[in-house]
Amino acid sequence: MMNLKNILSEIGQTDPEVYEQPKDRRQLLKTFGAKVAVASLPFAASTLFSNKASAKKTDVTPVQVLNFILELEYLAYNFYHTANNVGIGGPAPLIPTADQAGFLTIEGHKRAHIIYLNSLIISLGGTPYTPTNYNPTAANPYFVVSGAYDFTAGGLYPLVFSDYPTFTMIAVTFEDTFIHGYLGQLQYSLSNTMLQAQLMQLQCVVARDAAYVRLVRRFLGYAAAPEHPAPWITNNIPPIASLQPYYNTEDDTIQEGIDILSLPGYSGTTPQISATAAFDEPFDQTTVIGLLAGFILS
Amino acid sequence: MMYQDAVFFQLAGGLAGAGLLLSSCHTRTGPSDTYLGSGDVALLNYLYILEQLEAAFYTQAFATPYYGMTTSELQLLQDVRDQEIAHREFLMTLLGKSAVPAISLNFSMVTFADRGSVLSYAATIEDMVISGFNGAAHLFTNTDMVLILGKMTCVEARHSAYFRDILTHNTFADNTVVDVNGLGQSGSPATVLALAKTFIHTNFDSSKLPN
Repeated sequence: MMNLKNILSEIGQTDPEVYEQPKDRRQLLKTFGAKVAVASLPFAASTLFSNKASAKKTDVTPVQVLNFILELEYLAYNFYHTANNVGIGGPAPLIPTADQAGFLTIEGHKRAHIIYLNSLIISLGGTPYTPTNYNPTAANPYFVVSGAYDFTAGGLYPLVFSDYPTFTMIAVTFEDTFIHGYLGQLQYSLSNTMLQAQLMQLQCVVARDAAYVRLVRRFLGYAAAPEHPAPWITNNIPPIASLQPYYNTEDDTIQEGIDILSLPGYSGTTPQISATAAFDEPFDQTTVIGLLAGFILS
Repeated sequence: MMYQDAVFFQLAGGLAGAGLLLSSCHTRTGPSDTYLGSGDVALLNYLYILEQLEAAFYTQAFATPYYGMTTSELQLLQDVRDQEIAHREFLMTLLGKSAVPAISLNFSMVTFADRGSVLSYAATIEDMVISGFNGAAHLFTNTDMVLILGKMTCVEARHSAYFRDILTHNTFADNTVVDVNGLGQSGSPATVLALAKTFIHTNFDSSKLPN
């Protein structure tokens, strides 16, 4: 038992993805085996079964890391910019008056991240990612008017920009997925301390955005948001069952080979909900892109 | 216990070890100061001190709830308390024999019966810890540490956003904690430890703390 733990721990330290892969796959199989309608999942399932271990740390350059993050930020910016302009000035804006300032703040973060990442990529001699059908206007070069995104995911979420609970459901899922994406890139920054520090500083802002969206959704109440989210991810609970793949491995309780459940808590040992919520989890690039593919037109 | 040591040696690059740390006592700045160690061990002890501070703050806040605490606030405060205890115990386990003792804390400036006082100090402490983790991650010799620190910092950022927002809605990430480039704060260990000292009686010898 103890030896196995050590071995697992060492593998985990060498490559966290190798360590997490078997469980990840098992959970996916479990999910697919359950009552979830595979057809309803807005991503290409095949991408989730790719061999994670094949991506070596040295295979991924800083420019590739930053361009992947930039792709996420473009999607996020276009999502919030659209939402923030639905029904504004009319009798029924998508986002209630009380929350408009918050979502404008989030949109501002995404825009700032796009600008900053562009400059970092250029400074490293790379070519910044641009979305499909990117056709910048002088007024707003980060918004793609059409042909880049489908936030209904092919009609799965037709109310995404007309029903506030649906919008917050997708926003929560996006934000948590972005955090997974950022964390998954940290391992590629090991030889570049500047990149490492900047990824840390960027991702903590995404985590603030995630907490805000989750809190707003919590206050919608049980009828509109049955999962009643905390600002942090408890176990691996998604907003709705079909979004489970976006939360797989969030219920991990082993960190650096240490079983968090066995550690002393306030009374007794650490409760499962806190052992899982205390750590956000990384997803690799292939997994994240697979999860978001249904929202990105190609 | 064996396995705790193994984890520690991985962290310490397999050679520092507790013996070496004990033998470095002559570098202490004062006879009663708590020595953090050097290199990665010092960095981890520094983060462990920050987590001790947080866990103690929320333990007190939950034990003496402020007036008007809602059911939701009580539940989420318990969540945060238990997550910070988990962080504290996790870092202590990683450090093994090299962990500094429990520190002595000073929350005399906090009015635990008052909602505004508790929430604003909670936000202050969270923001300080986020800045500390962000500024420490890249200083580790063991580069694998960055992922686990990132996993924890994201959760600290969730905490900060929550406390800020229930105090004043829509201030979860205002321009006092996020700069014009959309970057969160980052502080050097020396800077953040000095800030943390506001809440700590224990004196530290941080002469070998990377900065």
